Amino acid sequence: MNLTFANPGRFLAFIRYAIPWLAACGAIIAAIGFYAAFAYAPADYQQGETVRIMYIHVPSAWLSTACYGIMALSSIGTLVWRHPLADVSAKAIAPIGAAFTFLCLLTGSLWGKPMWGTWWVWDARLTSVLVLFLIYCGILALWNAYEDPARAGRSAAVMTLVGAINLPIVKFSVDWWNTLHQPASVFRMGGPTIDKSMLWPLLLVAIGITLVVLALHFAAMRNEILRRRVRTLSILAANHEMKGIVE
Amino acid sequence: MIDDPHFGFILAAYLAGVVVFSSLLLWIILDYKKQKQLLATLEASGARRRSESNKR
Repeated sequence: MNLTFANPGRFLAFIRYAIPWLAACGAIIAAIGFYAAFAYAPADYQQGETVRIMYIHVPSAWLSTACYGIMALSSIGTLVWRHPLADVSAKAIAPIGAAFTFLCLLTGSLWGKPMWGTWWVWDARLTSVLVLFLIYCGILALWNAYEDPARAGRSAAVMTLVGAINLPIVKFSVDWWNTLHQPASVFRMGGPTIDKSMLWPLLLVAIGITLVVLALHFAAMRNEILRRRVRTLSILAANHEMKGIVE
Repeated sequence: MIDDPHFGFILAAYLAGVVVFSSLLLWIILDYKKQKQLLATLEASGARRRSESNKR
């Protein structure tokens, strides 16, 4: 399968069908999840109705690290196997990951003000997620700093893999340091600590948004493949014109 | 829920979600249209990739 879709042409044919299916399934699942989050899930005994922010904050937080994970795996593909689609994938997922990291920080801040009494604290979890956002910004800047996408891909891949050290820091910051941010309550040893009435809408929203993000990732990869074709044709056209002038 | 004293924060969080997601979606759609248009213009001017030229 790895080799079958290594060809950009075959990959484009595959995602032509995959994108609408992923987007439609994801949108339906997320819609059911959001409906359940507002219609069935109860208000929290401490947070009250403000807990509803968690149904957008938590999936955004998971996606911010998941997108970085995809970017890191793609970077390995770029540096080790020089897979033709690896740096296309890494470049395509970067703005999506940055957007969800931004959304995670923003919704967390909007939850923090009424619950903690402050928009922001220099807590280990919050700070490590801010660092993640800055790394995303740095990688996006690096992609735009080079004219040649292959060179940009290799530089961005190195930076992505160096920045990947932040992922376990984000995940375990709440265990390693004494933080205001609560510890993990879903993906933890011993199972989730959230009541089922809140857990299943949260998981539905997370699964739905993840499928939509996969569709966006594929669509952004298609754009990048087209951008590279445009670049190649522009260079060929310019060379052809130059030849004509010389002859 | 509308009577909740923190309703404004909940609304703002979801509005932010809608704005961020819509921006992402719009950017991807507009970029796709732009690249398709550029490609069509180049192909109309006779530019072909070597792999495509060999097929002909």
